[in-house]
Amino acid sequence: MVSQPDLSVNIGGLKIKNPVITASGTFGYGNELTPFYDPSLLGAIIVKGLSLKLIPGNPPPRIVETPCGLLNAIGLANIGIEAFIEEKLPSLFKNKTPIITNIYGHAIKEYAEMAKRIESVDRIAAIEINISCPNVEQGGMAFGTDPDTAAMVTDQVVKNTTKPVIVKLTPNVTDISTIARAVESAGAQAISVTNTFLGMSVDVATRQPKLANIIGGLSGPAIKPMALYLVHKVVANVEIPVIGLGGIMDYQDALEFLLVGASAIQVGTANFINPKAAIEIVNDLTDYCLREKISNINEIIGGLKTNGENHEKIGDKKNK
Amino acid sequence: MLEETVLIEFNRQIGKDTWLMGFRSADLASLAKPGQFLMIHLDRNTKDPLLRRPFSIHRIQDRNQLMILYKIVGKGTLLLSSLKEDDPISVVGPLGNGFTISGPHERPLLIAGGMGIAPLFFIAQALNKIQKHTIKMFLGFSTSQEVVLVDQLKGLNIDLSLTTEDGSLGIKGLVTDLLDEYLRQELNKKPVIYACGPTLMLKKVAQKAITSNLRCYVSLEGCMACGLGICQGCAVKAGNSKDKPYYYVCQDGPVFSSEMIDWRAI
Repeated sequence: MVSQPDLSVNIGGLKIKNPVITASGTFGYGNELTPFYDPSLLGAIIVKGLSLKLIPGNPPPRIVETPCGLLNAIGLANIGIEAFIEEKLPSLFKNKTPIITNIYGHAIKEYAEMAKRIESVDRIAAIEINISCPNVEQGGMAFGTDPDTAAMVTDQVVKNTTKPVIVKLTPNVTDISTIARAVESAGAQAISVTNTFLGMSVDVATRQPKLANIIGGLSGPAIKPMALYLVHKVVANVEIPVIGLGGIMDYQDALEFLLVGASAIQVGTANFINPKAAIEIVNDLTDYCLREKISNINEIIGGLKTNGENHEKIGDKKNK
Repeated sequence: MLEETVLIEFNRQIGKDTWLMGFRSADLASLAKPGQFLMIHLDRNTKDPLLRRPFSIHRIQDRNQLMILYKIVGKGTLLLSSLKEDDPISVVGPLGNGFTISGPHERPLLIAGGMGIAPLFFIAQALNKIQKHTIKMFLGFSTSQEVVLVDQLKGLNIDLSLTTEDGSLGIKGLVTDLLDEYLRQELNKKPVIYACGPTLMLKKVAQKAITSNLRCYVSLEGCMACGLGICQGCAVKAGNSKDKPYYYVCQDGPVFSSEMIDWRAI
């Protein structure tokens, strides 16, 4: 009898039974994929991004497929945090799998207010902050593109909750390590890398953009090499755990992120294509560990072999 | 709703760029209602095309055979047409709400433009079983080479009026041209309209139905990544709801009562 490998990891104080988490916006409000499998078998569930009030979202077309990628401009459509807590949360599977809410606001005080509200809800285990959205108080520039603003948002959320706070970084910046260090200093317990890459697609026949919003965020296998690079870079620059995401379709993709140093991974676009993608990754990681005689998944994390080249090559490790 | 890998039984061209594919699944067939759709993963080994593609359930035969009817319009459907007998495809479904079937004494009017015939064939099958009155159908294509399924539809006891835009077969013009003339004579019989086709055709039909105070169900298309209500890509502007600004084609539809949609936004 071979003993099962230990897949549990620790994300800034949040212990999860395996490193597979669903990415915000690709798993609905938590229940939608239950016809296909029991979501409680996953490490954690991150539900659709929530704002203070209902957001109707962008006019259609909201999505377009590009080679190996999905370009979306949903417009952060959601029912609002109160409706989620009152209407969706009570009917979610009653088990111990952590539910993480992803939140976003258009002003720093909105983040603070949501953190305060979530603090009173036991069933929510942690908060992931989306800082890729425009800051209306600062001319619409995304919070996540400026280290000071990113730190201020993080600080306000951390001050209003005792739950672990994960900051999800945007890749659309000059130097992601500066932002990563800023949110770490502001008290973030973990960092998710990365959100979607800004992109466009044009219909040559009509000469119109394929998205009504003109620009959108690119996800899927097309972004995986870039996302891996960013995880590699952030891991070299912070001490807190990094959750890797960007185009993970199967367990081998997940392993790539773990090897470059991600403590956990998120499955996003793959959920749309294969509703069982996330649970298959959990099962395949288990089989992989058994096959490779790995008793604890933490043995893999950061195990990238680089022939002497190391993380410091690409980053300027803050302790140096 | 379930996910199943099925083997293709046949996949053949039946008209210009138009293909009919069949596969067997007793489970999917037993759950399927007219107007519902399937999300088909064309090839698990490729990442381009990446997403599943939505297809209306076109027909159910022998209780366990499902068919889809499709036109080659891009990379995905081109790949689909290259698949052969016994090739596996992953199917998620049945999805969406489906048509509300009228009672045995109502007078159904089916209006299909081009590939809009795909789901309407299935509802015609269902109506044929329960209807006392003859089913009226307007079926339109752009040209004679695209015309498909006429004989099969006649076998379903349908009074069919065929149009082509270039007049190469049937009546020259659009199905919506026939609607005006039909309603001048039959409006008092309160036909119930079931329509599927290009968006602008549906807009015309729906607006005509609204002004004529007729019940009308339209089956819409939407760009969707999942078909499961998660991605929220397939938004369509709601016409009658204060608390719901958008409906989602995959979940709230694909069949909508005509007054539910804000046709001005289309």
